[in-house]
Amino acid sequence: MNKEKVKTNNAFVNALKKSNMTAIGVVLILMIAVASIASPYFLDIYNVQSLLRDLAFVGMIGIAQSLLLLVGELDLSVGKVASLCGILSGMMMVDYKINPWLSFLLALTLGLIFGGINGLIITKLRLNSMVATIGMQGLYGGINLVLTKGKAITGVPEEIYILGKGNWGPIPFPFIFCIVVLVLVLFMVKKTKTGRYIYAIGNSREAAKILGIKVDKIRIMIYAIVGVISSLAGVLYVSRLGSAQSAIGESWPMNSIAASVIGGVSLTGGLGNPAGALIGAAIISIIQNMIVLFGVNVYWQSAVSGIVVVIAISFSSISEIMRERKQKKIKLN
Amino acid sequence: MKILEARNITKLFPGVVALDSVDISFEPGEIHCVIGENGAGKSTLIKCLTGVYEPEEGEVLIGGENAIRNKTLFNKVAYVPQEIDLFGYMSVAENLFLPYEQSGIKGMVNQRELAKKAIPVLEQFRIPVKPDELVKDISVSSQQLLQIARAVVHKDYEVLMLDEPTTSLTTSDTQILFEIVKKVKEENKAVIFISHKLEEIFALGDVLTVFRNGKKVAYSSLKDIDIPWVIRQMTGREVNQEQVYYSEKVLDEVLLEVKNLTGERFKNISFELRKGEILGFSGLVGAGRSELMQAIFGYLPVYSGSVKLCDQEWKLGDTNYSVKHGFIYLPEERKKQGILPVLSIRENISISVLDDLKSGINISKKKETELAWRVIDTYDVKTPGVDKEIQFLSGGNQQKVIIGRAMNCNPQVLVFDEPTKGIDVGTKAEIYRLMKELAEEKGIGIILISSEMEEIKKCSNRIIALYEGRKAGEYDAKADKEAILGSIIGVNS
Repeated sequence: MNKEKVKTNNAFVNALKKSNMTAIGVVLILMIAVASIASPYFLDIYNVQSLLRDLAFVGMIGIAQSLLLLVGELDLSVGKVASLCGILSGMMMVDYKINPWLSFLLALTLGLIFGGINGLIITKLRLNSMVATIGMQGLYGGINLVLTKGKAITGVPEEIYILGKGNWGPIPFPFIFCIVVLVLVLFMVKKTKTGRYIYAIGNSREAAKILGIKVDKIRIMIYAIVGVISSLAGVLYVSRLGSAQSAIGESWPMNSIAASVIGGVSLTGGLGNPAGALIGAAIISIIQNMIVLFGVNVYWQSAVSGIVVVIAISFSSISEIMRERKQKKIKLN
Repeated sequence: MKILEARNITKLFPGVVALDSVDISFEPGEIHCVIGENGAGKSTLIKCLTGVYEPEEGEVLIGGENAIRNKTLFNKVAYVPQEIDLFGYMSVAENLFLPYEQSGIKGMVNQRELAKKAIPVLEQFRIPVKPDELVKDISVSSQQLLQIARAVVHKDYEVLMLDEPTTSLTTSDTQILFEIVKKVKEENKAVIFISHKLEEIFALGDVLTVFRNGKKVAYSSLKDIDIPWVIRQMTGREVNQEQVYYSEKVLDEVLLEVKNLTGERFKNISFELRKGEILGFSGLVGAGRSELMQAIFGYLPVYSGSVKLCDQEWKLGDTNYSVKHGFIYLPEERKKQGILPVLSIRENISISVLDDLKSGINISKKKETELAWRVIDTYDVKTPGVDKEIQFLSGGNQQKVIIGRAMNCNPQVLVFDEPTKGIDVGTKAEIYRLMKELAEEKGIGIILISSEMEEIKKCSNRIIALYEGRKAGEYDAKADKEAILGSIIGVNS
């Protein structure tokens, strides 16, 4: 037997495996290159800023969602938690004249509580996370409508606009928040005991329990973290718009899942990196940005972005299929 | 005439030559046994012979034709996998005839017709279930037989391939299986029988092929050889079959005291475990042994009764408490409950002692790697490195990693639930030796759950037999095999 051949094969496969994220990073760079060649406005500072601002929101929620995907669950109520927290912060500021910064902190605490409630009912009642959070998003959305009667809350103090609309140097503030979230989450996932336990639970919940890991406690904690991040995105969006609306975050549940999957986070748990979710979010945002820049017909926008997202998600499995085909061909010759 | 033949096949996986230029052929009317240690290449061979894998070199011939070019030929090989592979929420009859059901109008399923057709098959296989029962509700033993029946009702097969068919069968069902296999042989079909159980191979087989490290190392008619010869071929060394492994340093101190414990599948169980003792739990599949231990461990609920460890009241229902207080359960379902499959060996080992591996608030990768290598060296795990995903290790090596991981937690009681399931003779002996060492040198109390009477007899200081969730007898190491057997099948009680 040709041992050398086996060895190189091994190194090649290992490299491919490890490059799961590098591959998607390459796609991102290619997309940026294509976009900047195709449209002279793409690299315009104004466009880049608005792109980063958009991507910050999908990115934050995507990072949160990837945490849940790592334990093999997901949360479809992220958008409604975000808009509810946004509206509550708006009401506190406008109707009760509470200090805006304090309102934000209170809203984040509420996000923690909403997320914690999600986690509690899912673990204690042993519900499926998808079904349970579909129900919960109905509840949070309903409270939204009861509170606002469908109207936007305007008159938010201008001093907080800076969080959503402002820049630090050339970089939009929401994007800075997004990076801070990523760094904190990555630290937790990669460097701490809790992070290891998250991967262990995602690998096998039964094995994790037999290892003595407090599985439910960690799951509830992740739901609470997801609640906080959703709420952060919600209040940032309020300060970006200058008003609190119940329509905030409508596309976030689906986009956050798509971003995570594009970024190589496995839907079945235990495999992936939250940083991938940010790259995935960047890809989705660039697609949407390009559609606008190329002046795609408004009615076609959703269809085009849908197709491109599906292509992006299939990227890794397509490369796998191609590799198998190639091997088969070599064998037949 | 050779019905199924593999010529010079080689199958490569990243870093491994799983099959190395193997020639093997199967003849009609012959029971051909295949044996080899874990990782010897048996599974890969099966997958090549059933068309799941394509070998890199060589060809597979079925009835003289190249089956790799004409994949429909693989339909002639009826394959019964080791793991139960049935549709739990469909009826027995549906499972039996899928996907060949042809009743009524094309595309329609006539349930009554199917049920009628199923009855003679169930009778022939002596499976005590009704055709309309759901498969998830029938016993594991019946499921296993049903799985074989399903392969055989398909009339066109020429080769029947059984992969460790007896692992979840009771003794009497094993006899039924043997009769069926012999009948299939009389019908002039070829039978491939893959098993770790040497007694079964000698009771049933005609010829034997032995694999080691991806190579075919021996082929012989079973009439001309004996068990020690086979073990020598498999392991490349001598393994003493007569060796016993019970602990010789049992202390008087009582470690674990269980009183009148009742849970979902066991009733009123009391026993004591001493320091340095190996206590065997014998019983049939489904007798409640695993459930009992998982309940004490805190994984399953307890309805009544009490447990004391070192004279301290034991908190039930909390696995975290159990692990922290030195009671560790090593599960039977290694793949589902033992390993964290896509994590590396390093991460699998460190997961239970992360607090000791910190530097600052980070987990130190250096300390982790050192610990992993220490476990690999101590327990003789065969692996190219610590960063390999644990799912790619063989069953025996996975088991050693799991034992090593448990030992880092300074256990007082270790429960081994079927520790050698799917593990070959050579590695089995290593695991027995390990249990003996742990009991004698560290004074650990060991509970061994096993369905193999030989294993229980060889390793246990005392043996408790369970029958349908009740304690049916307690024996010491010198007790009669027949007496214990009587207890576990409910004769004595």
